[in-house]
This record gives sequence, structure tokens and C-alpha cells, in this order.
Amino acid sequence: MIITKNISKHFGAFQALSGVSFEINKGEIVGFLGKNGAGKTTLMRILTSFLPASTGTVLIDGYDVAKDSIITRQKIGYLPETPPLYLNMTVKDYLKFSAEIKGIPAKNRRRQFENVMAECQLEDVANKTISTLSKGYKQRVGIAQAIIHEPKLLILDEPTSGLDPVQNLQVRNLIKNLKDQRTVIISTHILSEIEHIAQRVLMIKSGEIIIDESLDSLMRSHNINRGDDQSRPMNLEDIFIHHHSDQENDKKSHQNIDNESNNIDAHRVNGHG
Amino acid sequence: MDKVYFIAKKELLSYFKSPVAYITLVLSISVFNVFFFLIIDQNREVSLRDVFHVMEFMFLFLVPIMTMRLFSEEKASGTMEFLMTAPVTNMAIVLGKYLGVLVFFTMLISLTLIYFVIIEFFGSPDRMTIVSGYIGVWLEGAFFIAVGMMTSSWTRNQIVAAMMSYVILFFLYFLINFTKYFSGAAETFIQYMSTLTHLEHFIVGIITVGDLVYYLSGIFICILFTRLSIENRVFQ
Repeated sequence: MIITKNISKHFGAFQALSGVSFEINKGEIVGFLGKNGAGKTTLMRILTSFLPASTGTVLIDGYDVAKDSIITRQKIGYLPETPPLYLNMTVKDYLKFSAEIKGIPAKNRRRQFENVMAECQLEDVANKTISTLSKGYKQRVGIAQAIIHEPKLLILDEPTSGLDPVQNLQVRNLIKNLKDQRTVIISTHILSEIEHIAQRVLMIKSGEIIIDESLDSLMRSHNINRGDDQSRPMNLEDIFIHHHSDQENDKKSHQNIDNESNNIDAHRVNGHG
Repeated sequence: MDKVYFIAKKELLSYFKSPVAYITLVLSISVFNVFFFLIIDQNREVSLRDVFHVMEFMFLFLVPIMTMRLFSEEKASGTMEFLMTAPVTNMAIVLGKYLGVLVFFTMLISLTLIYFVIIEFFGSPDRMTIVSGYIGVWLEGAFFIAVGMMTSSWTRNQIVAAMMSYVILFFLYFLINFTKYFSGAAETFIQYMSTLTHLEHFIVGIITVGDLVYYLSGIFICILFTRLSIENRVFQ
């Protein structure tokens, strides 16, 4: 479904992604994990052809997102981190406009509009102006626009951020229902969500992929390698912290080495070496 | 082409869902009515020549207000990401937005056709001159809208977008006043660049290829630059 080869992206001197390659098969649910600023959103924007990659290629269903972007966009449903909503429109008008510009044939528009309203439980707010809706409803409207054209690939950037537990559960259930029909890429900081939904994990650190593994084997490998003194099995959050605390430890150890070498240099300058 | 129409329709509807459309229409027509009365009362001639001049001057102020939100609002609210990841070309987005405002502007101009009816009722105006005057004012407005849309694509701040439009439009409008400091080719060039020169021809009933080329190429260049700027992520 998705093949990325050696994707890099830089913004001026800042390297946001470097040498990212992976394949995602049809029907897989993949969780993108990483700290803020790791490059998840940039990668998603490249997949959706909102941003061009500096180097490398992305193929979706065999089509290059740079050369055949209109075809690939037709296959993708995308919910950015901030739901892209026209606040002065009603839910109905917004979804109708989404259906129109996403190229749904006129004869199917009504059916797909009704399906998506039911699927995202938006019937009660159909005629309400989007600006008056709660955050949970806004998020569901955002998901509705992403799935209205029945895309094969769904890309959701932090779909549950800022929601209360009830809204969170509603959105998570909605995504669970969607996964039976589509390939889904989801990025979130709520790692328990990934444990519930995803089959595979891609962890990005400083623009590079450090883990690309199925969720089961990731959990197994991290729990097998642990000592018996640990009472609780590692969950995804522990694994995430484990991989990201390495960086902090590395930094600290580098600092210590630098300090030590500075001390040695100072001694040498002073004739003590 | 369908998608251009859908985007234009959405733009037009969004004008009427906010107070901007009503305020712009009421304000413009009220000012035009006052000036129409004053001009006819003072000149006592069955011509809309001076009314067209007033309209042109008013559009210098009004058009940037109509266009400032076109792209900057989309950028600020994040809906640009929605448009640019939908299966629609960047050119269709630009043309759709442009046509949406152009239709609104045409509606505004149409409301002033009553002036033609009034002077036709009370006298015998030169109809073709009035028709060519309306074509000139419409073309000039269409050009101003293209400039406003272009500056709106440069920033996510609507006020900045309007200010940049004012700078460009005022420059083009008042350029004619600087011809006395130049001579030869430079003088001719400045005269050609000034919007006043071209509208003046239309108002007196002359439609030349040069004037049409000025407005149409201006619109084309601004549309092209708008497309380039939304494609270039530096502006986002």
C-alpha cells in the first residue's frame, strides 16, 4: 500500500527527516510514535503530498505522491493535528463541500454523506455551526471529512489530543470500526491507544526510524530481555521512555566525557599532564 | 472544472455567512448613491463618467477588505492543509477562490446599474460609453481582486495581506502623478503601468487592445504568482 524509500526532509539547515524507509501493507494499522518535533507530522505531510520530500520517493498503491499527487490524494483520507474545519459553516455544508471537492460522483454524494454522518454519530449536530461544537464533535467532523470519499488509506495525526476520557473513547471506537475497511496510520502521544488499536509500531526519533516492528514482537522482545527482578511487564509507554531516555543518558554521558576531556586538557595546559 | 465551481460557491456562501458581505454591499452602495446624487446634481449631464471615477477610487479601499481573508484565513485556521491534500489542483483552488470573489464583486457592480436606468429615464445618455465604462470598472475590479488574492497568499495575517494590497494598488493608482519626473520610454512605461490611464479610456468610450492586455495580463500574472506562492511552502 505504502512504500517509502529513503525519505529526507530539511527546512533550511534543520534536518526534519533523514533516510526514512518503510513499507506498509494493505489493511495494516500502524502507530507512529515519537516525541514532539521527532518528525511524525512532517512524515505524514509528505505522505499526503502536502509537503514535498527533499529526497526520496513515496509510492501509494504504486503511484508516486510527487508525480501523481491527484491520484494519491484521492486514495488518502487525512486528519491533520488541528482538524481543518471552516468554523462558520454548518456540519452538513462542510461535509457536502468535502464530498464535492474530494470528487465523489453526484449520484453517490448523498449516500456517502449519510453513511459518514451515521458512522461518526453527527446526525444530532448536522445543522449546527461548527464553531459552536464541543472539541469531541469537532474531532469527529474532522474524521468524517477524512473518510467521506471512502479512502483506502487513512492518516490521522493525533486524533484524540485534548479530548476528555469519554470523547477519547468515542473517537477511539470510531477508529476501531474504521480499521476493518482501511489501512490506517495513526500518530498519538497516548500510547495505550496504540496498544489497543495498532498492529505495528514505527518509532521516530530525531527524524529517523528507530523501531519498525509489529506490536506483539516489540512487547515480547522488550519483556524477554528484562531481568526477573521486574515485577510488572513493560508496556508501550515504558518502551517509549526506555528508548528516549537513552538519548538523555547518551547526552549526559557525552557531557561527562566532554567535561573529563576538558579537565585533562586544562591539566595539560597547566603543565600537569 | 467542477471543483473550481465548488470552491467558488463555497467562497461566495462564506461571504454571506459573515457580516462582511452585507457591510460591504450596504456601505459601498450607500457611498455610491451619495456620490451619484452629488455628481448628477452638480454636473447636470447624463453621463456616469465621474461616477466611474468615484467607483474606481472606492474599490481601491474596498477590494483589499474583500480579498484579505482568501488564503490568509485558510492558512491561519489550518484549512489550507485540507484543501491542498484534497484531490484538487492548486490552479483549481486559486481559480475557484478568484471566481468566488469576482462573482461577489459583479453583484456589487450590478446594483449600480440602477444609475444607468435613472439617467436613461431623465435624458438620452451615450449608451455605448456607459457600457464601456462598466466594462472598464469591472476589469479594473477584477485586476484589483487578483492583486488582493495574491497578497493574501503571502501571509497568514489578514491585516498584513490587506496592507500589502493597499501598497500595490495605491502605487499603481497614483503612479500617473510621477510621469512629470520622467521622459521618453520611462514616461511611457509609467503611463502604461498606471491603472488610471487605462480606465480613463474605457470611461470615455474607447476600448483598445493595449488596455485589455493590461488588465488581462495583470490578472493572469497575479493568478500565476498566487499559485506559485501556495505551492511554495516558504509562504506557509
